[in-house]
Amino acid sequence: MLSQHFAGNWQRYVVQFVLWAAAFSVALSTMGRKVREFLPAFALLYAMSLAVFVIGQWETANFYGFEAPLVALLLGLAIANTYGLPRSFDAGFRVEFYVKTAIVLLGATVPFTLIIWAGPVAIVQASIVSLITFGVIYWVGTRLGLDRRLAATLGVGGAVCGVSAAIAISGAVGGKKEDAPIAITLVILWAIVMIFVLPIVAHAFNLPAGVGGAWIGTSEFADAAGIAAAQTYANMVNTSNPAGGTGDQAVLAFTLMKVVGRDVWIGIWAFVLAIVATTRWEQGPMGRKANAAEIWWRFPKFVIGFFLASIIITWVTRDYSLAEHNREVIPGLVAPIKDLRSWAFIFCFLSIGLTTRFRELAAAGIKPFIAFSSGVAVNVVLGFVLSAYVFATYWTNLSLAP
Amino acid sequence: MTGVAVPAKCRNCRHFRNDPAYLEAAIKGLSAMSSAWGSVRADDGLCLHHDRYLSAEASCRDFQAEAVTAILC
Repeated sequence: MLSQHFAGNWQRYVVQFVLWAAAFSVALSTMGRKVREFLPAFALLYAMSLAVFVIGQWETANFYGFEAPLVALLLGLAIANTYGLPRSFDAGFRVEFYVKTAIVLLGATVPFTLIIWAGPVAIVQASIVSLITFGVIYWVGTRLGLDRRLAATLGVGGAVCGVSAAIAISGAVGGKKEDAPIAITLVILWAIVMIFVLPIVAHAFNLPAGVGGAWIGTSEFADAAGIAAAQTYANMVNTSNPAGGTGDQAVLAFTLMKVVGRDVWIGIWAFVLAIVATTRWEQGPMGRKANAAEIWWRFPKFVIGFFLASIIITWVTRDYSLAEHNREVIPGLVAPIKDLRSWAFIFCFLSIGLTTRFRELAAAGIKPFIAFSSGVAVNVVLGFVLSAYVFATYWTNLSLAP
Repeated sequence: MTGVAVPAKCRNCRHFRNDPAYLEAAIKGLSAMSSAWGSVRADDGLCLHHDRYLSAEASCRDFQAEAVTAILC
């Protein structure tokens, strides 16, 4: 059966590989990356992605909760933490690049009117959770005697966007060389735990798809890990969902919460903390003046791509009625984009596993662990209450119809 | 041609490293769920003199200009 499928479709896969490789090569070369290092690694990644898709179709694996994102992550982790691959292959395992590609493609399947409708709710919910989570981590950290710059780096890492936030805030406040690696270790460990725990708990509670996605968006720190959790829950919902909703709702709610609600504010966090660090905290030998332009420098530009993709597709399809949209636009335009998005997600999930080498992570220490874990606990509970009770109506009724 | 002194900021200091490839090698775990190529990092980098992770706009009394300086023609 499988061999028949590949015998009949191998040309399709070859063409798809060539198109992905060409698109990524152009993008990476404009960033100054070496395409000759990228291509062999990407070829391997594509072959592994094919294997993941095959396993993802296996009903027995799905029955035991081994959805495609989890299979990809586990496969990558197993390889990276046993025999490993040559370090040069990391050139093709670009987690951030793939997740941003997938989020922009996701934007192309979302009506812009929906972003306008649900965006403010996402911002309010995310702001509540982010401020409280940061406050808890910072308060516990400083009470335990951590340096304020490390406590702030941990706090924003847990409250906003994980590894990216940790690196942004450490630079903004002028942290010690080891601060960011400590925060990164804790983010990665908890983010991977959450990839497995959040979808399983959401499913056990029978959360509607949109509610589960919003909860994951409020409780996961890193975009890539969050997408893995949200896509896992989406697959679970598509298989069995007594509470209602579709898998797409889960991924969309996650994205609105994480990208629109949390990620876009990283520049403001960095600017405000840079002011606090330079005016209120003890000064080291270095000094700097906080600059409001930092808000724009640190703005995650892929969010603009997400909005633009949504605006363009919404504009192009503006004259279609709902019936025409369902009959023509969905199969002819939305479905192929979703197919590409699924591939980008799998590239991302495999890359998370393949680049997460536990033995190489920095030692975090017990005090940073306690401070960060306190924030995680508050984050998860508060995110659940806000998603499943306070704003449940919005997330349950999230609709992808134009 | 006239050699001009560059502003005494980290971005122009010989102790400062903010090349993305260098940072990904130096900061453990950075590329696992993020990267040094994203815009959130701005131009921050590592100061090898003070062992700090700093904004490129920072400065200190130990500033040493890079060997290559700007040239005005």
